[in-house]
Amino acid sequence: MTSADISVPGRVAERGSRGLWGDAMRRMLRNGPALVGLALITLFVLAALLAPVIAPYDPIAGALVDRLKGPSGAHLFGTDLQGRDEFSRILYGAQISLQVGVVAVLMGLAMGGTIGALAGSFGGKVDAVLMRFVDVLLSVPGILLAIGIVAWLGRGLPQIMLAVAATTTPLFARLLRGSLLGLREADFVVAARSLGASRWRVLFRHMLPNALTPLIVAATLALATAIIDVAGLGFLGLGPPDPRTAEWGTMLTDSTRFLRQAPYLLFFPGAAIVLAAIGFNLLGDGLRESLDPRLKR
Amino acid sequence: MALLSVQDLVVRFRTHEGTVHAVNGVSFELDAGETLGLVGESGCGKSVTNLAIMRLLPRPAGYIDGGRVLFDGNDMVTMEESELRSIRGREVAMIFQDPMTSLNPVLTIEEQMVETIRAHRQLSRDEARRRAIELLTRVGIPHPETRLDSYPHQFSGGMRQRVMIAMALALEPKLLIADEPTTALDVTIQAQVLELLRGMTNELGTSVILITHDLGVVAGMTQRVNVMYAGFIVETGSTTEIFANPKHPYTVGLLHSIPRLDAEEAAPLIPIEGVPPDQRHEPVGCPFAPRCAWRIERCWTDNPPLAAVDAISSPPVLSGPQATHRVACHNQPTAEEAVAGRPLRSGFVAAPPPAGFVGPQDHVVEHDDELAAYAARDAR
Amino acid sequence: MGKYIIRRLLATIPVLIGLSILLFAFVHLLPGDPTRAILGQHATPATVASLRESLGLDKPLWEQYVIYMGQLARGDLGHSVVNNKPVLTEFMTRFPGTVELTVAALIFSVGVGIPLGRLAARHPQTWTDGAVTVISLLGISVPIFVLGLTLQFFLSVQLGWLPTSSRIDPRLSIPNVTNFMLIDTLLAGRPEAFVDALKHLVLPAIALGSIPLAIITRITRAAVLDVANEDYVRTARAKGLTERRVDDRHIMRNAWLPVTTVIGLQVGGLLAGAVITETIFAWNGVGRWVFGAITNRDYFVIQSSILIFALIFLTVNLLVDIGYAFLNPRIRYS
Repeated sequence: MTSADISVPGRVAERGSRGLWGDAMRRMLRNGPALVGLALITLFVLAALLAPVIAPYDPIAGALVDRLKGPSGAHLFGTDLQGRDEFSRILYGAQISLQVGVVAVLMGLAMGGTIGALAGSFGGKVDAVLMRFVDVLLSVPGILLAIGIVAWLGRGLPQIMLAVAATTTPLFARLLRGSLLGLREADFVVAARSLGASRWRVLFRHMLPNALTPLIVAATLALATAIIDVAGLGFLGLGPPDPRTAEWGTMLTDSTRFLRQAPYLLFFPGAAIVLAAIGFNLLGDGLRESLDPRLKR
Repeated sequence: MALLSVQDLVVRFRTHEGTVHAVNGVSFELDAGETLGLVGESGCGKSVTNLAIMRLLPRPAGYIDGGRVLFDGNDMVTMEESELRSIRGREVAMIFQDPMTSLNPVLTIEEQMVETIRAHRQLSRDEARRRAIELLTRVGIPHPETRLDSYPHQFSGGMRQRVMIAMALALEPKLLIADEPTTALDVTIQAQVLELLRGMTNELGTSVILITHDLGVVAGMTQRVNVMYAGFIVETGSTTEIFANPKHPYTVGLLHSIPRLDAEEAAPLIPIEGVPPDQRHEPVGCPFAPRCAWRIERCWTDNPPLAAVDAISSPPVLSGPQATHRVACHNQPTAEEAVAGRPLRSGFVAAPPPAGFVGPQDHVVEHDDELAAYAARDAR
Repeated sequence: MGKYIIRRLLATIPVLIGLSILLFAFVHLLPGDPTRAILGQHATPATVASLRESLGLDKPLWEQYVIYMGQLARGDLGHSVVNNKPVLTEFMTRFPGTVELTVAALIFSVGVGIPLGRLAARHPQTWTDGAVTVISLLGISVPIFVLGLTLQFFLSVQLGWLPTSSRIDPRLSIPNVTNFMLIDTLLAGRPEAFVDALKHLVLPAIALGSIPLAIITRITRAAVLDVANEDYVRTARAKGLTERRVDDRHIMRNAWLPVTTVIGLQVGGLLAGAVITETIFAWNGVGRWVFGAITNRDYFVIQSSILIFALIFLTVNLLVDIGYAFLNPRIRYS
């Protein structure tokens, strides 16, 4: 080439991006609401993990003489119908909500993810059949499906987990199927291969992150709904079979009858559920914004 | 008096990564009936300049940070919204690059054309509809009466652009701004649409600002050309003069980037090395310096103003067929160098930047596209 | 477009079949002994036997399914274990109550949600937008039972502005004609009772509509923002149209499309949420009945209520899809 030599030594320094995750982390740290969400979730998780250590009282033991006392120094959040300390029950309730919520979402990811992956990879008849099944699940809206499953299987933590998992399954199935179907034809996949990246490794580096990120966002948001659904089941009397168990939703059933005298029975479990849900919703939104590089604010 | 007079127009964009200096003091004029071409690569500010003229910058990111735009003597930058609205469509019209996305998908062609007409004229629905049919016929749409009830997606690309032209010229505006009107079309259709554009604007006496990156289009359609780079006008003059006698290294580079059928065999293509500057930083010196083969030391620190190529005593003519050929360059290529595409002076080497110099091109370039990063890494 | 409708209808058939199988299994494949589960421990052998007979529990599964489908076709949805009345009639008496509540909640969520979404979209990244985002966040983070009870506590128990429960003051005896309280009060010529019924509707409608409100607000905001950035909106402005015209004809006409789809989806959530809402507010509708059925293990009631709700939801979605195809010229004329 007979172009003139215009090179300027050591000039344009290129700092490649730190990859999807590095960029995402940086963006997250700047995102105020997401950090608030993270803080709430940390609070929630700590409460759950440290309940046995922090709780001042046994959550299932109570003396009737102490029943329905308002918040005080001795009982931070008051006492319930059986004289049990609300504060301790809330802490232990966090354990159940966290446990059941996380397992339910993981189960939903597994079930929905498998269905979606199979449908998306095989296409054709397999896809059609699997998606019809997902449609059937979707035809019974929200908590009604969970109610149906628990009513059928009986009460118990595993049954509740399965029920809530079933409500999240369709979402994950559709997400993964959509991602896979779309990615097969995506320009950048074709481009990557044409650049010589026929090695599976590079393909995984391009396809998988794109398929994973909406799943992670969806899972986080699903956790918020899961916590609410678990509490909902508890409220309707479909919670853990042992009536002494400290579960946030079940704790609220009692409050309905004593709203006038003991409103704190509503506020503290209610606030706990709301704060946990807000936490996961904020984090999920924050993740969505940080992980999608194309999103303009 | 010139129909349009843009004076020191400055446009910036607020982004998360800072302020983008899109247009940095652009001035030009346009007479009635003239067709002016605005040429440059993507991001040079040609589209932004024209959006700014009509105050159609995307809000809240884009804003005009200085300058005046005099249309028929009135400053459009400071005009009231209501006055601006009466000018838009009626006196100044604009057509955009992609006719598919520029037409509302849920409204019929009739609805979109009639609303334009009735926004500025007191016509009944029927009268407006008749006018629309007339316009569609003029732009060459067959069976206009039936096609009026169609939706944009039912037309082909070329037809859609004709509809846009019909809508733009419906009220016979004094100025038409055409932003890359044929870039999205097939080559064969391009010629037809450009022909139509030229025919109708000649007939109506409309002034045209034609924005394009395609020099071939400029050659066939325009009387004058402004060459833009990084938000500045770097060369301006009549089309024939610019093509015959380019005086800015960038223009020279542009002309040499076009492969020519009549070129000598094995004559190399001379690309313009480098990439456009990062306009998130204030421009320092001539914006083309990092890529310029003719640069001298002064170019790094001193942004040359637009000045007449040949020294003349009277003030430069800014518009019309006698417009002065002006260029912004400290070290203009000679005629032979322009033909060769590179400096021919013996021993001449493009000047390195002065010691300790920091310009916009030194700031880190972040690759958001992982793929490009991979490709770059593999290429090295 | 006719082809689209037919295809869509055909796609519903497998879903209906799958749904019927699921619900069939709900009763006939109850873990353990279905009869014991349904009738409880103290049922007489005679009742147990007659139940086994009517369900055909001794026959092969596929035959049971056929019997079940036959019963469905005849409108025989079983009998309530509690009072032995046919499920279908019991359902239909209570259904208007749920419809009233659901429609009120829908009107609330759409009537407030869409304007809020538009407002936020018009002033993005400002305090207004932030406030709307907070409302939206609370809407999806506060469960219906928490919101309902809180509203009850503050607005009813503490302030006494609105009634705590029921559909109407029981002392105003209104004859039951349609079972729609709002209609019946008017039919009885009692405007003050109409107002009373409205007052009773407020809190439950807000509680039930809170989640759809949040979602509709979000989607409207997103849709308007997306559309506002489209090229054709810029063209509309370039033609010199007023902002109002640009907003109504160009932005909203296109933004409506995704919003209507979402509204249709929310109906499902409303039906499901009715169970909790009616329970808290002692609202006499299907939801409250289902809650009782859960407590009483009244399986036929649960089974049939889920079936009918699912059918309603499927129908609404079908109508929304067809409506969308009609509204979107790109699908209507393709």
